[in-house]
Amino acid sequence: MDLTYPPEVADFRRELRAWLAAELPAAWAAPGFWTTLGEDESFDLRRGWERRKALAGFGGIDWPTEYGGRGGSPTMAALADAELARARAPRSVNPLGLTFLAPTVMAVGTPEQKTGILAPMLRNDVIWCQGFSEPESGSDLGSVRTRGERDGDDFLVHGQKVWTTSARHADRMFALVRTDPAASRHRGLSLLLIDLRSPGVEVRPIRQLSGISEFGEVFFTDVRVPAADCVGGLGNGWATAMLLLSFERGASAMGQYTDFRRAYDQIVEVARALGRDRDPSVRQSLARRLVELECLRYHALHVLTEVERGRDLGFASSVTKLQWSQAYQGLFDTFDEVLGADVGLDHPLGEFGESGGLDLTALRRESFWTRSVTIWGGSSQIQRSIVAERVLGLPNSRLA
Amino acid sequence: MFFALTDEQRALAETVRDVLADRFDLTAVRAVFEDTGGDGHPRELWRTIGDQGWLSVCVPVDQGGLGLGLVDAQVIARAFGAGVLPGPWASTVLAGEAVRRFGSSAQATAVLGPLGGGELVATVALRGPGGGLGRPGIAVRATSDGRLYGMASGVEYAAVADLLVVAALEAAPETAPGADADATGGTAVVPVDGVGLYLVDPCAVGVRVAPQSGFDGTTRLAAVTLEGVLGRRLPGSDDAALADLLRRGAVLAAADLVGLAREALRRTVAYDSARVQFGRPVGSFQALAHHLADLHVAVTMAEHAVLFAAHAVDSTPADIPANVTPADTPADATELADPVDVEPVDVDRVDAVLAVAIAKSKASDTARDVTAAMIQYHGGIGYTWEHDTHFFYKRAKRLAAAYGDSGDHLAEIARTAVGPMS
Ligand SMILES: Cc1cc2nc3c(=O)[nH]c(=O)nc-3n(C[C@H](O)[C@H](O)[C@H](O)COP(=O)(O)OP(=O)(O)OC[C@H]3O[C@@H](n4cnc5c(N)ncnc54)[C@H](O)[C@@H]3O)c2cc1C
Repeated sequence: MDLTYPPEVADFRRELRAWLAAELPAAWAAPGFWTTLGEDESFDLRRGWERRKALAGFGGIDWPTEYGGRGGSPTMAALADAELARARAPRSVNPLGLTFLAPTVMAVGTPEQKTGILAPMLRNDVIWCQGFSEPESGSDLGSVRTRGERDGDDFLVHGQKVWTTSARHADRMFALVRTDPAASRHRGLSLLLIDLRSPGVEVRPIRQLSGISEFGEVFFTDVRVPAADCVGGLGNGWATAMLLLSFERGASAMGQYTDFRRAYDQIVEVARALGRDRDPSVRQSLARRLVELECLRYHALHVLTEVERGRDLGFASSVTKLQWSQAYQGLFDTFDEVLGADVGLDHPLGEFGESGGLDLTALRRESFWTRSVTIWGGSSQIQRSIVAERVLGLPNSRLA
Repeated sequence: MFFALTDEQRALAETVRDVLADRFDLTAVRAVFEDTGGDGHPRELWRTIGDQGWLSVCVPVDQGGLGLGLVDAQVIARAFGAGVLPGPWASTVLAGEAVRRFGSSAQATAVLGPLGGGELVATVALRGPGGGLGRPGIAVRATSDGRLYGMASGVEYAAVADLLVVAALEAAPETAPGADADATGGTAVVPVDGVGLYLVDPCAVGVRVAPQSGFDGTTRLAAVTLEGVLGRRLPGSDDAALADLLRRGAVLAAADLVGLAREALRRTVAYDSARVQFGRPVGSFQALAHHLADLHVAVTMAEHAVLFAAHAVDSTPADIPANVTPADTPADATELADPVDVEPVDVDRVDAVLAVAIAKSKASDTARDVTAAMIQYHGGIGYTWEHDTHFFYKRAKRLAAAYGDSGDHLAEIARTAVGPMS
């Protein structure tokens, strides 16, 4: 057992912390700052910031240097996530590209794809979105219907994707498309890279429960996509998609822990401000939430140790997803308990309407957001089935 | 950064498991469990434990021990939990920790060698009947010349122990204990100055040990009555020492609980994979499978928490003050111009008080949940005396309340994270 970092990692952490202290605008760290901006304004600010971060050498921490990365260790990447969260740097605008597409291209992309995709992604010149879900295909991803018909060197894509995060701001989409209608379910799929500026693409925002529109739906009518823009081989889309989704497994939960722990501490402050910190049932509820958050931290240390040892967590990554999503969501159930009878007010201490010491807008938005985290990225039900069958070895639930 | 067991620790875990499977399986556990009149202390098992060095794990090398820490001790405790093993290993190790940390060097020399070699069974008596965790739960008083009066309850293996470590309230020096109590009708309150830990010979005159019956046949409990026996004070003991000892006890109990929870889950998965109803294994029904998946997540988290807590205690100096509470009182609501602006918390922070409370509360709740599910998902057979489920369930129920139950530890966590109650 050793919870210290090697000198080069400690140096890196110090360097990043100093850079963030110098470069991150102080106003951005103020609670609620981002909720005062419009969605486009917020996106543009974050896009520019992330680009500056990459140019300063703090993007692609664990990417090989040949792709424009820093060539660092998984520990450095995990600590960078934690430091960014600690400094309240804004969330990435290119998370789906960075988390999923980039490592997939590094693993199975052609040389042209590697040079054409990776560096521009790191600089945020190209924003990516993920086109997997469709109206009739959610958890059952293998049933996607969007089809690509071969036309010379191109495919003509028809169909619809939905719940596409960042659809409105994205430049390109990696999409699971049925390119061989004759082949059975999982066989006839390909992972195509679609330019969303092409003719025949229509993007419509969808307003979310929280009131903002971070996702949307994307319609394709005869959209021309060069066959060269297929990653991982034609007809091999299912395997490529599984490889792509597996890259979430290496992700350690350190950055998440740091974010959630700040939300926790903010909620404790709200409890104090409202005098609810003496309520025994609120106290016990807050204590239980801290147990789960701290367990997430220990788990992050465990995951990082395994990754540093070169081990693939495999299906055990479903344990990580269940723990972080449920700990995070549960925390905001306790937030409601803290607010008690005033749960319906945005400014419970405000004297006349809006003014007052306690602005809950940001926490409230986060509270609504947590309802989604047990749905996307494999719903909790799907994760439990994976743990039951693949980790515990229980018999398959689809047995007749 | 290495948050895992070392290869040596893994090997130790395997050795303990293999030896126990070979020498003391559930049939042997059952014999002890059902022998309610017996002392619950199978001598052959004890000799094996002593020979293997598992009693000397925390004994310093210069006392003939292995000189390891709580991380290693919890490896053994987990395996013992998995085997629902009877015997005074945990109580002996814990008593040894009291002597090692707070005893004089003469006391350490006299006790630790024999204890590590299995020649000495020891236990701790830290609370009175109905007593809670720490000073308020103690019902033994010490006079200034070291005589002990009062009672301890639920003392593990006191009936076979050669040595007791007793926690006693100590009166302020100027007060004559006993005299004051008489003046106020016998029950009342002598001003208490502090707490001391005392070594007591259970066979001495002035000590009575009376077995207490209980549902968990994987252990034996007793009440200890002290009527003026002379205790040998551990010179380094005080409130903080008691808190330290309770934390170590909590880590060992939590380790036992996660070991038994993991094994209970494993056995349940095996049973439900084989048991067929409606033409398919019952383990293929989502209602059951998803619950077991959640329990796997909980056990995994409890395992991490115990490992982290053991490490936190090992790597923390002795001088954590008792009843730690944040020094700053919560700010007044009207002063909170920016109430949601809080200092960030670092991912690699180590805080032993918090870590132990988290580990014990998580392990207690998880072990109770898993063993209850073990009964449920075995159906009728799970509710029989003949089946082994109840060993796991009953041991979990008892240990969940030992060294602070979940509620005690949640209250401690709230004190640290939310602030003082008043
Ligand atoms: C905020 C947000 C962002 C998203 N971003 C993207 C994105 O960028 N790109 C993208 O492709 N998709 C995205 N999604 C879609 C997401 O991946 C799907 O919502 C998810 O896979 C679930 O599919 P579904 O909505 O069709 O629900 P369904 O699959 O219809 O599920 C409905 C309910 O049934 C349960 N269920 C389904 N199958 C089973 C089963 N076998 N056993 C037990 N229970 C089952 C589910 O858990 C759920 O509770 C996003 C979703 C959200 C909420």
